[in-house]
Amino acid sequence: MKLNFKILGVCLVAGVLLAACSEPPEIAAKVAKRPDVAPYMGADNGFMTKGWTPGNQESWMEAINKRNQNQSEYSRVK
Amino acid sequence: MARMKFICDTERCIECNGCVTACKNENEVPWGVNRRRVVTVNDGVIGQEKSVSVACMHCSDAPCMAVCPVDCFYRTDEGVVLHDKDICIGCGYCSFACPFGAPQFLSKGAFGVRSKMDKCTFCSGGPEANGSVAEFEKYGRNRLAEGKLPLCAEMCSTKALIGGDSEVISSIYSKRVAVRESNGKYAGSNIFGWSTAYGPSGSPAPTPTPADKIPGAKS
Repeated sequence: MKLNFKILGVCLVAGVLLAACSEPPEIAAKVAKRPDVAPYMGADNGFMTKGWTPGNQESWMEAINKRNQNQSEYSRVK
Repeated sequence: MARMKFICDTERCIECNGCVTACKNENEVPWGVNRRRVVTVNDGVIGQEKSVSVACMHCSDAPCMAVCPVDCFYRTDEGVVLHDKDICIGCGYCSFACPFGAPQFLSKGAFGVRSKMDKCTFCSGGPEANGSVAEFEKYGRNRLAEGKLPLCAEMCSTKALIGGDSEVISSIYSKRVAVRESNGKYAGSNIFGWSTAYGPSGSPAPTPTPADKIPGAKS
């Protein structure tokens, strides 16, 4: 009987100590993850460039590649 | 699909630190964290001084992803290596693994306590909703989702730093090298960091992290 109480005590202490290793539900919910949305889906913040359609990957690629050419002075200065 | 990369032309970089300033301003990066920085070698030696602007290169086989004990990194379809700050524990392993010194930590308080890792996102935010306030506060601007390219590259005054789809920026750089060669100048055809980040030429393209494996993704 005495041994059982001892084991029960050890289990209780271990339980209390291990509780610190668990993740509180509010943190788990916070980390319950969001899928990353592809950039061609656009951003809803009023800073979008014009000339492409959000959600259309091809038009986004075209716009990005066109913008990329602005980094080449050979295509900018003719 | 585009594969986003940076090229820094060491023949053109003048160590103006405009890219560093642009990055800090655009992403409101706090003091003590530099997502991008300019490194100069042979400082003051006439004809031998070279500068290079360094940030995360979004490696094909990213060592940071390999060593992260909590698996907070993921790779987007565009080849951009991003991480989830809700999962990062700030252990610093990625910092030791990165050959470019990209991962940054903000020292917080006494006893050298570190923040969660912060690094260049290729101006494409993180796992939060595109362009949201939450994304901006954690990762900075998501310019890719706005149809733009990283500001550091777009505003580089000498166009030393170019960023975007690897095929496009490679062709821009090749043209430059050809022009320099034809003018009898040093061609500078070796691109800083590319073999380290992307392996030898002809290396296979990296595989994007599947949506259900993105650390922040719903299962």
